[in-house]
Amino acid sequence: MTGLDLAAPQMQRIERDGDVVAARQIGRHLAAEIGFSRPEQALIATAISELARNIVSYAERGMISFAAVDAERRQGLRITAEDRGPGIADIHAAMTDGFSTGNSLGLGLPGTQRIMDEFDIRSAPGEGVTVTVVKWKSR
Amino acid sequence: MDDIIASSGGRHGPPGGQIADQLRWFDITETDRRQAEALAVTADELAEQIIEDFYAHLLSFDDARRHFRSDEQIARVKKGQLKYFRELVTAALDEDYVRNRRQIGQIHERSGVTPTLYVGAYAYYLHRLGHRVMDRMQDDPGRALALLLSLIKIAHFDMAQALETYVEAREATIEQREREMSELPTPVLQLRDGLLLIPVVGTLDSYRARSLTVKLLEGIRDHRARAVVLDITGVAAVDSAVANHLIQTMTAARLMGASSVLTGLSAEVAQALVKIGVTGEALRTAGDLQHGIEMAERMLEI
Ligand SMILES: Nc1ncnc2c1ncn2[C@@H]1O[C@H](COP(=O)(O)OP(=O)(O)O)[C@@H](O)[C@H]1O
Ligand SMILES: [Mg+2]
Repeated sequence: MTGLDLAAPQMQRIERDGDVVAARQIGRHLAAEIGFSRPEQALIATAISELARNIVSYAERGMISFAAVDAERRQGLRITAEDRGPGIADIHAAMTDGFSTGNSLGLGLPGTQRIMDEFDIRSAPGEGVTVTVVKWKSR
Repeated sequence: MDDIIASSGGRHGPPGGQIADQLRWFDITETDRRQAEALAVTADELAEQIIEDFYAHLLSFDDARRHFRSDEQIARVKKGQLKYFRELVTAALDEDYVRNRRQIGQIHERSGVTPTLYVGAYAYYLHRLGHRVMDRMQDDPGRALALLLSLIKIAHFDMAQALETYVEAREATIEQREREMSELPTPVLQLRDGLLLIPVVGTLDSYRARSLTVKLLEGIRDHRARAVVLDITGVAAVDSAVANHLIQTMTAARLMGASSVLTGLSAEVAQALVKIGVTGEALRTAGDLQHGIEMAERMLEI
């Protein structure tokens, strides 16, 4: 792509329900291109859904970006969900099954960690949340 | 001019029209193209410095900075921009060119680069270049101005291409959203006295999940149902929010006196639910539709 390219193509702005669906579709598509199996694609789509929905629910708006990654002959998909919302005061609590300030199941973050191979969450109150996850293709 | 404006809303008006019409609308002539091209060497020489300045400017804004993840990305984008500005003064303003420019608008719309950011970036470039060209051509300011005015025309034409797509992409997004919401109505089928079947197809986002709850509860009331089979064979992806909606829907059904069974979970959906930690206890499920209906019939007998 040439152009006044202010953004990497594999980014999805997240502001509402429809964006969650769009992010899921982009992720699924990329996962298929990388060669993930269908069940793996579904798991990845679920993880994207969780991260995107958290942005809509708790931070109003944010961004999800996707990148194919390569390491030691392994291929994978890296997903970064980023917002500048209120942030998470107690990350340990947020990562606990069943903890929710939104009156929902409280399984999104811990579930995403179980689905993905790598999981990194960074946040400070008032500074938003950045979650970076990687799924490696099984060999 | 009045005529042109009056006709611009029509289907064949300049904004979305043929390239030749658009060029006429922007009053871009052969002379303009030649004059812009005369800036090619200068623009080439200056581009790198201007782009460096531009990024320093850009990165001093939080909103803009969040679009850049790494130094490599910035380097890549800078390189793309060199090419872009080179093309601006030399490119044939043809269909390939327009197609390329329109793709950029689409990418920007999707990733949330606002028209303000885009137009502002442009203005910055033109302004910087303008000053330097005037400096270099001090002995002939009249010609410098003429060249720059031609470039500005072409730049506006170029900008219009991307902005046009912003609007189109926006509209397409809205349209798609409306379609998703209205299509695939959730039918409520009465299998026999007191027994309902609700097949769910497509994406179960929050909106549809809410309307599913309403449909189910209305169905129970209208048909005096005591058992409901909720079949999600047609649902490709779930997450904890969808699971939560299903649990709440089934709980609400119970409060209205109807038991419910969930059927049609694909292996993929089931695996995803297990991974995120939704337990079988939270949702009463049956292996397939047939079993689900049998289970519901037994519930009727109780
Ligand atoms: N992007 C975010 N910004 C602020 N708070 C968040 C964000 N994502 C998650 N949280 C907090 O972490 C909690 C747990 O999130 P999650 O595991 O997805 O469960 P749930 O969304 O069901 O509450 C949320 O209730 C919320 O308090
Ligand atoms: Mg969540």
